[in-house]
Amino acid sequence: MALVEVKEVHKVYKRDSFEVPVLNGISLSVGEGDFLALMGPSGSGKTTLLNLIAGIDRPTRGTIAVDGREISNFSETALAGWRARHIGFIFQMYNLIPVLNAFENVELPLLLTKLSKKERREHVETALRIVGLADRMKHYPRQLSGGQEQRVAIARAIVTDPSILVADEPTGDLDAKNAAETLDLLQHLNTDFKKTIVMVTHDPKAAGFARRTLHLEKGQIIEDTANGARAQA
Amino acid sequence: MKYFKLIRRNLFRNRLRSMMTLALIAVIFFFVATLLSILELFNRFEDQGQGTNRLVVQSSISLANPLPYAYEQKIREVPGVADVCKLQWIGAYYKEKKNFFANFAVDQDRMESVFADYRIDPKQMADFKADRQGCIVGTDLVKRYGWKIGDRITLKRQIFPYDPELTIRGIYEHPVNTAALYYHMSYHNEAIPPMMKDHVNTFWLSVKDPSKNAAISQQIDAMFKNSEFPTETVTEKQFQASFMAMMGNIKLLFGSISTCAVFMVILLAAITMSMSARERVTEIAVLKAIGFEKGLVMTLMLTEFSLLTFAGGALGVLGAKLIYMVVPMGKVTQGFLVGFQIFPMTALLALGSSILVGLIAGGLPAINATKMSVVDGLRRVV
Ligand SMILES: Nc1ncnc2c1ncn2[C@@H]1O[C@H](COP(=O)(O)OP(=O)(O)OP(=O)(O)O)[C@@H](O)[C@H]1O
Ligand SMILES: [Mg+2]
Repeated sequence: MALVEVKEVHKVYKRDSFEVPVLNGISLSVGEGDFLALMGPSGSGKTTLLNLIAGIDRPTRGTIAVDGREISNFSETALAGWRARHIGFIFQMYNLIPVLNAFENVELPLLLTKLSKKERREHVETALRIVGLADRMKHYPRQLSGGQEQRVAIARAIVTDPSILVADEPTGDLDAKNAAETLDLLQHLNTDFKKTIVMVTHDPKAAGFARRTLHLEKGQIIEDTANGARAQA
Repeated sequence: MKYFKLIRRNLFRNRLRSMMTLALIAVIFFFVATLLSILELFNRFEDQGQGTNRLVVQSSISLANPLPYAYEQKIREVPGVADVCKLQWIGAYYKEKKNFFANFAVDQDRMESVFADYRIDPKQMADFKADRQGCIVGTDLVKRYGWKIGDRITLKRQIFPYDPELTIRGIYEHPVNTAALYYHMSYHNEAIPPMMKDHVNTFWLSVKDPSKNAAISQQIDAMFKNSEFPTETVTEKQFQASFMAMMGNIKLLFGSISTCAVFMVILLAAITMSMSARERVTEIAVLKAIGFEKGLVMTLMLTEFSLLTFAGGALGVLGAKLIYMVVPMGKVTQGFLVGFQIFPMTALLALGSSILVGLIAGGLPAINATKMSVVDGLRRVV
């Protein structure tokens, strides 16, 4: 069975008195170890779909199951706990906490676990080593370049060893070189650490790093292609 | 607590703003602690009669109207009265008018029995009784003027036409009334002109059974009802309260200023805190996305806010405590605030309200910031 099962999902936003349909009957499945790129014009519903899969939003209709569990039925508290264990978030603007240094930012999700201080330290150091920033642990976000900030954010996303990474335009704010490095890192996590990744992107080159590309338009999937030859950084 | 680092860093996120808020809260709580302590001091003066169960016989016309000595024997015969002591308010001052303190002529032979709560060395008491021009003084007065036993002092007249010339024979201790002077009633009675003689403005009674106080008062007042000098007999607490009646307005004023000050600090803190919460909307959404529950995020924010106000409150209260240890308020206020200090209970009250200020002021901003959905919070960035 697929890791993520999205079935007939509709999402309608209510704005004042009229309703804005954003997703119109989306069905898709993401297998374990897949690397999926979501593409499509602005406003087509990419972020909305990603948020539903990540469990920070709920569908108006339809169901979303992850690892066989129907997350659209979870209570808010249960969902928060579920996200802590299963989802790693990567944002376009990195969204690190400015008052915490790299180490402390990466440690943040571990505070919710029962791990001891020593265990947390080990996990954080491992995650930072994977993203190649073991030597920047004491740096604050403002002392890091955009590419480095995004790598710290990726370390924060993987430190709890979640099954799924969701990334909303992770290279949208980076120059070509840093973008390529970030995508390379994601690919590495996918290939060598078997992380399932769902990534929203505008950039066909970025999508080229994924195994599979989904095209959305007006809240519907119009194309679903497997990438034969994956791009290399 | 593993979240403490996050709380601490957030506290100093905007250093200037935190420091200014802290300073502001500290200053306001300095004044709140001061005002509340003054109120507490007043209350203690009012309460000094509590537990002693004494009754005070005074003229029903006014406190300035004297009562004849002859009343003493009649009062003594009322059932339930244990002892009677004459006490006359003198109202003189020491050297200069600003050196004002309570001074009385007291029936030197009855003082020990009726005012048993005034603790004094028996030898000193005996010396006082033996010297017609002897006097005893409270511990605070001794401190204020650097007096010692054997010192000769002259008080300046205000009401009665003579300057009492006295020798300090003893120093008494009392929990509240620490700055008064007592000398012989017989000296007073000899010094005043004939037409004033053998009159006194209050009789103080000790009673056998305080539960009979009402009946005793009634009987005494009934006895003198149709005389030339009608009386009003009240408990010591009532007497002090009426003496402090003019303080009532001051108390109300100080009470309302304190309340207003706390209210103002709540408003100001609320402004700072909502600014600080609004800046963090995206971060809060990120924390929630990562798996922090709403309640946890709220707890972290409220802890942070109340820590800030508590730190400010503590700074203000501690500052006040230290300042009044150095500045002799009794002297500065010319005897008005004798025994003034930041009382422990007042300090606790002020500190408690400083925490409350943080919770009240930060409550709404924290609720607003945490109730926003993750999706809406994240959208605020882009
Ligand atoms: N909370 C909301 N309330 C109302 N409308 C919303 C809300 N969130 C999203 N929308 C609308 O839903 C539509 C899809 O939004 P979404 O963010 O999913 O698009 P997107 O494909 O990610 O676009 P972009 O490439 O610009 O990020 C947009 O028209 C947007 O205005
Ligand atoms: Mg989007």
